[in-house]
Amino acid sequence: MRSQQEVFEQVKKTLVDLFEIDAAKVVPGANLYADLDIDSIDAIDLILELKAYTGKRIDPEQFKHVRTIDDLVTAVQQLLNETPAA
Amino acid sequence: MRPGSLLDRGWRVIGTGISFAVFGLGAVLISLTLFPVLRLISPDPAVARRRIQGAMRQTFRLFAWFMATLGVMSYEFRGRERLAAPGRLIVANHPSLIDVVLIISLMPSVDCIVKRGLWRNPFLRWPVRWAGYIPNHTPEQLIEDCSQALRAGRSLLVFPEGTRTVPGQPLQFRRGAAQIALAARCEVVPITITQTLPTLTKGEKWYQVAHQRSHWVVSVDEPIRTEPFLQGPPAVGARRLTQHLLDYYTARLGSHAAAV
Repeated sequence: MRSQQEVFEQVKKTLVDLFEIDAAKVVPGANLYADLDIDSIDAIDLILELKAYTGKRIDPEQFKHVRTIDDLVTAVQQLLNETPAA
Repeated sequence: MRPGSLLDRGWRVIGTGISFAVFGLGAVLISLTLFPVLRLISPDPAVARRRIQGAMRQTFRLFAWFMATLGVMSYEFRGRERLAAPGRLIVANHPSLIDVVLIISLMPSVDCIVKRGLWRNPFLRWPVRWAGYIPNHTPEQLIEDCSQALRAGRSLLVFPEGTRTVPGQPLQFRRGAAQIALAARCEVVPITITQTLPTLTKGEKWYQVAHQRSHWVVSVDEPIRTEPFLQGPPAVGARRLTQHLLDYYTARLGSHAAAV
């Protein structure tokens, strides 16, 4: 199981690599849309990238409520902690 | 204020009202007559699309002439020969309500993005479909539909601002236009629209006419190549191309503002 800090670092790295977002702006309370200028097309890229990281199928519905970095880290952690479907 | 200019202003209010009425009635009339006829005589949907887009152009051309003849506005075009080649993304800044009329009047055939709601409008639902216009579904679907139209060799008009410019505010571009151009790997033809006085702008009522007649200049500029933006992750390319366009327009419009 990966710690919250690890997941946060991964999310940050993904945002910096994919979108060249300034790493200093990626803080837990930052709003993805308002503060980091992520649009809906970016959100899809982001989910695909996180899918590769978690190795899980991602239902976009699970990310509907995600607004901040904190929400995103929590959502990814939940995915990682899910027991794989038998 | 001189009495002459008061009279002129009053006339422009009336003329603008007439223009709006003619536009609305004309749209309904043509949608019920000319467009269905063109569709009926063109069994091939691609032919129907070209004819309807051609008819759209001619009616917009007539309408622009009508407004200018009424004395409501005046306009000129520069570099229109740059619109001859198809299969390119046409982008423009969006200061006024009639930008789309002026641009379409220049283009024999161009696809547009139209509000999804029109597909439920009793008068316009069929014409927008026959013209092959693209509804703004989900962003992913929209970008797919738009890039497909471009790859098929059609031209597409997009306003990167997504809506009319807010007067007095710095320009703001959304990234959709850049995403479409990169997905289609096509050139971008920038059109710069300027008015001598803000007229028919966002947040203004139609009867709030400027103190003098406004003159529109629609300038078709040199195409922008998109290859340099195709390296690296697409999201980064879209950000860079959007910034490039924003800088381009800010410089173009800034120098215009200084010249007036």
